[in-house]
Amino acid sequence: MFSAEPTQDLKTLDFDVEEALNPTEAEGTFRDSRECASLLLLTGALLLSPPTPRPKKS
Amino acid sequence: MKQLSGAVHDLASELVSALRGGDHSVAGTTGSLGGDEALTVAAVRTLGADVLLPSTLLSRPAPEPDVAVCRAAVHAYPPGPQSSPTVAWSHWAMERALARVTAPPHAPSPADALGIAATTGPPDAAGTTDAGPDVTALREASWQALTHQLSVLAALAVPGADSAVATEAARRPVDVSRGFVRAVRRRDWLQAAGAGRWLAVVDGVPPTLGLDAGLRFTLRMGGADARVALHVHAALLMRANDTRPAAARRGGGA
Repeated sequence: MFSAEPTQDLKTLDFDVEEALNPTEAEGTFRDSRECASLLLLTGALLLSPPTPRPKKS
Repeated sequence: MKQLSGAVHDLASELVSALRGGDHSVAGTTGSLGGDEALTVAAVRTLGADVLLPSTLLSRPAPEPDVAVCRAAVHAYPPGPQSSPTVAWSHWAMERALARVTAPPHAPSPADALGIAATTGPPDAAGTTDAGPDVTALREASWQALTHQLSVLAALAVPGADSAVATEAARRPVDVSRGFVRAVRRRDWLQAAGAGRWLAVVDGVPPTLGLDAGLRFTLRMGGADARVALHVHAALLMRANDTRPAAARRGGGA
């Protein structure tokens, strides 16, 4: 059923197979919970802070 | 490449189904690929020895079409002199798996069946000896690189594996555990699944790792990728069938 002789079709997939069998490490994303929490707190504090005092018009 | 990825995904899904008690046939996958035999052979070579994993783990005979396509893949994609160690090891593992599933009952071990001696013979064109390709790079790798390489070679993580790669994994269970946690935190689910599969077959995994929970989490988060599901289901099956003393395997955690 399956031919053991390398055909042209198999040759064209040669590079793809080699690449799939020797992948570089995927880009990963660290999600540091403490960093996220600090950023959230900072953003919240900025949003909730009162407006900066402005000089009164004389 | 996209076409091959799809074929690999389809084939891995078939294997997951087989590991979960369903039926499996590479020939059936060929049908779903529009009868493209070349693509099937390439996908089989990419998945490597895992194509015969249901026979290995469930102790049942491999369907003859599966054995035939594995032979074709081994023949069609031999490692060359410039091939990476992972390509050479993957090819070596396929030959071993073929020898294992085609050996008659009560036959000698695959090493004996292949005529592999305890000592190493002369290397072939790809630098591979009878005992397997060179493992120096893996031995000297940092724990991050080790985990990456092991996850690529997760098809070699089967019960009773006697390869030099398995020896390296068994020598550094804590490093692989660190790599598993790193992979989960990086959301690299394929690497996490591969590393988790190795941890399922080695001793000395720290109990604080919580491997079972980690594997289930990896499956939940990355299970849409059939290769992730394949490694996790293989790991869970191997842990369920593990007859070693609890003190030896550990790593289960919470």
